[in-house]
Amino acid sequence: MTLTATPRRTRRGPGTRAGPRPAHRPGPLRRFLGMNLPYQLLTFAVFAGGWELYARARGGLLLPGFTETVRATVALLGEAELWRALYVSNQALLLGFALAVVVGIPAGTALGRFRQFERYADVYLNILLVTPMAALIPLLVMSMGVGPASRVVLVALFSVVMVIVNSRAGVRQVDPALIEMARSFGADERRIWTRILLPAALPAVMTGIRLGLGRAVTGMVLVELLMVSDGLGGLILTYRGLLKAPPLYGVIAIILAEALLLVSAAHWAERRLTRWARPNEPRSLSASGPRTARSF
Amino acid sequence: MITVHGLCKSFTARDGETVEALRDVDLEVAENEFLTVLGPSGCGKTTLLRALAGLVPWDDGDILVDGEPVRGPGPERSMVFQNFALLPWATVLENVAFGLRLRGVARAERAERARSLLATVGLAGCEAKLPGELSGGMQQRVGIARALAVRPRVLLMDEPFGAVDEQTRRLLQEELLALWEEHRLTVVFITHSMEEAVLLGDRVALMSARPGRIAEIVPVGLERPRSRDISGLARSGEYAEITTYLWERLREMHAEHRRDGVAS
Repeated sequence: MTLTATPRRTRRGPGTRAGPRPAHRPGPLRRFLGMNLPYQLLTFAVFAGGWELYARARGGLLLPGFTETVRATVALLGEAELWRALYVSNQALLLGFALAVVVGIPAGTALGRFRQFERYADVYLNILLVTPMAALIPLLVMSMGVGPASRVVLVALFSVVMVIVNSRAGVRQVDPALIEMARSFGADERRIWTRILLPAALPAVMTGIRLGLGRAVTGMVLVELLMVSDGLGGLILTYRGLLKAPPLYGVIAIILAEALLLVSAAHWAERRLTRWARPNEPRSLSASGPRTARSF
Repeated sequence: MITVHGLCKSFTARDGETVEALRDVDLEVAENEFLTVLGPSGCGKTTLLRALAGLVPWDDGDILVDGEPVRGPGPERSMVFQNFALLPWATVLENVAFGLRLRGVARAERAERARSLLATVGLAGCEAKLPGELSGGMQQRVGIARALAVRPRVLLMDEPFGAVDEQTRRLLQEELLALWEEHRLTVVFITHSMEEAVLLGDRVALMSARPGRIAEIVPVGLERPRSRDISGLARSGEYAEITTYLWERLREMHAEHRRDGVAS
């Protein structure tokens, strides 16, 4: 499962639209259609309808329809087994992701500021970016066992690279004129970090956190599916073994919902913290704009 | 008073070639003088200013400010930048107070000083805005207020009005002259505009390129105060005479460059 970054929308207020200004404020229907939500709901309805029709026509034991999946999901939400699995999985997610952030932000910002570190680190970053991380799972399990430790480390490995690469890009994109300005007012290296580099890199760091969170969810489920059958991944494996398709689909739906929720929360936090760095801001700010690596 | 003596600075360009940015620069700037530095692009005028600010090391020579050798940025000098160099995430008020905060001035006092300077540069009411919400001219007014907030004796300005449109530039020139007439400080003002160099400066230091050196110092005898009617001055005979002379010298430099095969 890959979580692709949705491009930032720029909501145009009535005063900023191009061309002649409309005489009246757009009515409620217009405004409703101007939002993205109705279109998202529409595509979802089409998808759900298509699924339901296909399942009714061709489905059987192994292909539940949409409504059946919804019912199974609701039923699952009442079961202790699911909540235990969510707890186990999210524990690894939380610890692993926290580890990635705690390691990734200092590492990434240092790499952005001090070019000489780059020589040592670049090759490992590329490996982290390119390698199918799943290939490392057996290795990790062999060295760290099937306990929570290997799951935490894998989640961290999955997400840390996004945090590092984006933090590095954030620091690198800082306008050198700002650093020079701070120095001209007598700032030392510590003040340059706290007053210039970190605030300027914050939008990119937040992007890295959001993308890293997406990768962390991927890692969490993958390790449970492939090696350590526990948590949500373990639940998927159990239902597959029992050929219980509706709850299997239900677990997947719950994982998707959680991922969507987490990434939306990260996106919201990103927008709240970095209002100044909107892509539609004037040119002078573009040096700190989010020209950063995307997930793939 | 600023004394520059025998200043040399060269650096290695990206292609490995050594560029002599400054050779044997001698310069004296009197207390409360407005000195403009004019030269073709690439003549090292910005390097000279950054050396005065203590932002770059140099190879040989001395820079003294009031008899004290410059060894880095100092509280008596502050700088105004060509592209404003405002913090895009900080409010206008925080930007103006930036230097004060670095110098440990208490919060209440720095807010008060920043507020009064914003009023001086005509930006009262903009305290809570972000720089991105201001026009270029207003952004540079913030830059000037920030530089003045630390109460410097020397103001170093690096083509400060190069990035704004012509009408705004004229307004900013008048405002700067008015501020200087009122506050009395020493100004070193880099520009590539002959007009600006003559209208603002007590003297124009004309620089030649490669190696960068002071070719000549041209006194400007235009009467002061000038802030009231800058455009009238620009029509005077003396103004025309000086700018004509400067242009002749600059044209000679450009011609020499072409002879030496240096792209100009």
